[in-house]
Amino acid sequence: MAISKEQMKDMYVKMRRIRDFESTAAKLFAEGKIPGFVHLYLGEEAIAPAVCECLRDDDFITSTHRGHGHIIAKGGDLNLMMAELFGRETGYCKGKGGSMHIADRDKGILGANGIVGAGHCIACGAGLSAKIRGTDQVCVCFFGDGSTNQGTFHESLNMASIWKLPVIFVCENNHYGISMSQDRHQAIKDVADRGAAYNIPGIAVDGNDPLAVYEAAAEAVARARAGKGPTLLECKTYRQHGHFEGDPAIYKPKEEQAAWMEKDPMPRYAKFLVENGVMTQEEVDAVDAQVAQEIEDSIAFADAQPFPSVESAVVDVYSDIVEEVRDR
Amino acid sequence: MTSIGIIANPASGKDIRRLVSYATTIDNNEKVNICKRIVLAAQGMGVDEALFMPDTFMIGCAVQDSLENDGVLSLALGLLDFEIEATMDDTVRAARMMERHGVGCLVVLGGDGTSRAAVKGITDTPLLSVSTGTNNVYPAMMEGTVAGMAAAAAALMDDPRECCIHDKKITVRVNGEVRDIALIDAVVSDDFYAGARAIWDPERIKRIVVSRCHPATIGFSAVAGAYEIVEDTDDYGLAVSLGSEGEGVLAPIAAGVLTPVRVSEARRLALGEEYRFTAETRCMIALDGEREVRVQPGDEVSLTVNRDGPWRVVPRKILARAAELGMYKIK
Repeated sequence: MAISKEQMKDMYVKMRRIRDFESTAAKLFAEGKIPGFVHLYLGEEAIAPAVCECLRDDDFITSTHRGHGHIIAKGGDLNLMMAELFGRETGYCKGKGGSMHIADRDKGILGANGIVGAGHCIACGAGLSAKIRGTDQVCVCFFGDGSTNQGTFHESLNMASIWKLPVIFVCENNHYGISMSQDRHQAIKDVADRGAAYNIPGIAVDGNDPLAVYEAAAEAVARARAGKGPTLLECKTYRQHGHFEGDPAIYKPKEEQAAWMEKDPMPRYAKFLVENGVMTQEEVDAVDAQVAQEIEDSIAFADAQPFPSVESAVVDVYSDIVEEVRDR
Repeated sequence: MTSIGIIANPASGKDIRRLVSYATTIDNNEKVNICKRIVLAAQGMGVDEALFMPDTFMIGCAVQDSLENDGVLSLALGLLDFEIEATMDDTVRAARMMERHGVGCLVVLGGDGTSRAAVKGITDTPLLSVSTGTNNVYPAMMEGTVAGMAAAAAALMDDPRECCIHDKKITVRVNGEVRDIALIDAVVSDDFYAGARAIWDPERIKRIVVSRCHPATIGFSAVAGAYEIVEDTDDYGLAVSLGSEGEGVLAPIAAGVLTPVRVSEARRLALGEEYRFTAETRCMIALDGEREVRVQPGDEVSLTVNRDGPWRVVPRKILARAAELGMYKIK
């Protein structure tokens, strides 16, 4: 499935947006401006933009605790994201959810998720919904290698396969589940191998190459849309930072980190675009400057927003039914 | 000491062709099983040592653990000592080290691409290529036990070359500089990036050069094979151009995918004859099924078929010869 130059450029814009958002979040977290936990997508920027380039606005995604990249790639609003990270009232979750709960139903973003492996089941639900309603929408389920040892992964692949649900399971294999290397948490090297057990095509691609991811994702999405069922797409990548900000990641060998930094998707893709005449260096620089301004604007926006009121602490916590019962 | 080398590629058989066609899936645990049978058969024939390439799945270690645990391993099973990069370069390096070590036969498990990488590392070591990849033309589907016996026979014989075919290969030059090689086919596509590496869209294919071709194979060499058969023993290759005009042929370009394509021009290439063209646009040359060489507009490309490839063991022939030599007789 051919990719246009416009799509190639669009992927670069989104990758740059993610890289800058995450780098800024790391800095702001270190400065104490962001409360709670932050898990960054740094190093994995080639995946979500390439996958989401194959999606329509009315398609769905499910995300993880490391969700900023997915949300930005699906069109999430930077101002509302940053405000949420700052814990402000106008953030995506009214400042009370933080990094791990950002959702945007209008854009088909069914939520970041603090529970490892929870997105798989939600993705099956979205896929089943599309199937029952007779639409050709699809759902992409992003997850890491660590979650593929959870029961939810296996149950969801089984269900998606048996019901031929329009779900694309995208494993961002960054080789670590928290601090546990893949070598120590599973007896296989390729998560893609697990597809065969559920009669699902399992394929592995270079997750630091957006063009490789795009080609595979485009085929998987077309397959799902045509009612041919799910795909397990494994994207090999690397988490450049620790599991969360503040994790010194001393469990990662320095040589391994250095080898993967050589494969950093950002300079690699920018070089490809310029060398092959897709973008000029001036155009790349202009995108970088534009994105830097977007991030600055999002910080200014977030900083100017109020914190949630004390009274709102219990709002959206209990359902109305509970309130009614309590009033009796 | 009689030894064999085993290179098993843990990355083979997982590419995009499982999505765009109906390609086989062989997981790494099955590759371990095949390797066990190779080792046991070679051991049974009298091989003293089996050397493995280190890899990310640790196939050699898994074989050793399992066979030692079962109490059935008697040959010396070793792992080459080098830091793996988890790229094709590991295969090239391992093949080179095994040849220097003096293995009597190199067994390669993978697809066409894995065999191509192994060939870059050897000069005259007999090669036995076992299919665990995708659209395999070069490696053969065979039972691991038979592969182990054939490899052992090659290692134990004084002159295994009489049971081998000295294969052809294709040398790719860009602006006069050797850039790479292919064992079966070099395919020019109008992609300008490697992407998911495999090629499957006939609309994007412009030229095909093959060292051999037959309609009974899978991949773009089958297009040439549907037009004219070139055997591995024929001292020529074939160059084919595709277009919207010309003779139509039906060819299995991928597993389960028979596609009509039009051959606008086809001509035999004598050994050593250069097939030359000047690239008009950016394009990629896929070697044995994987996009490898990027070509820029104006680049002068030359593809040459020569009989300077590996010495490929012919299993049935070498096992028959082993019988003539009394290798199966109990002493």
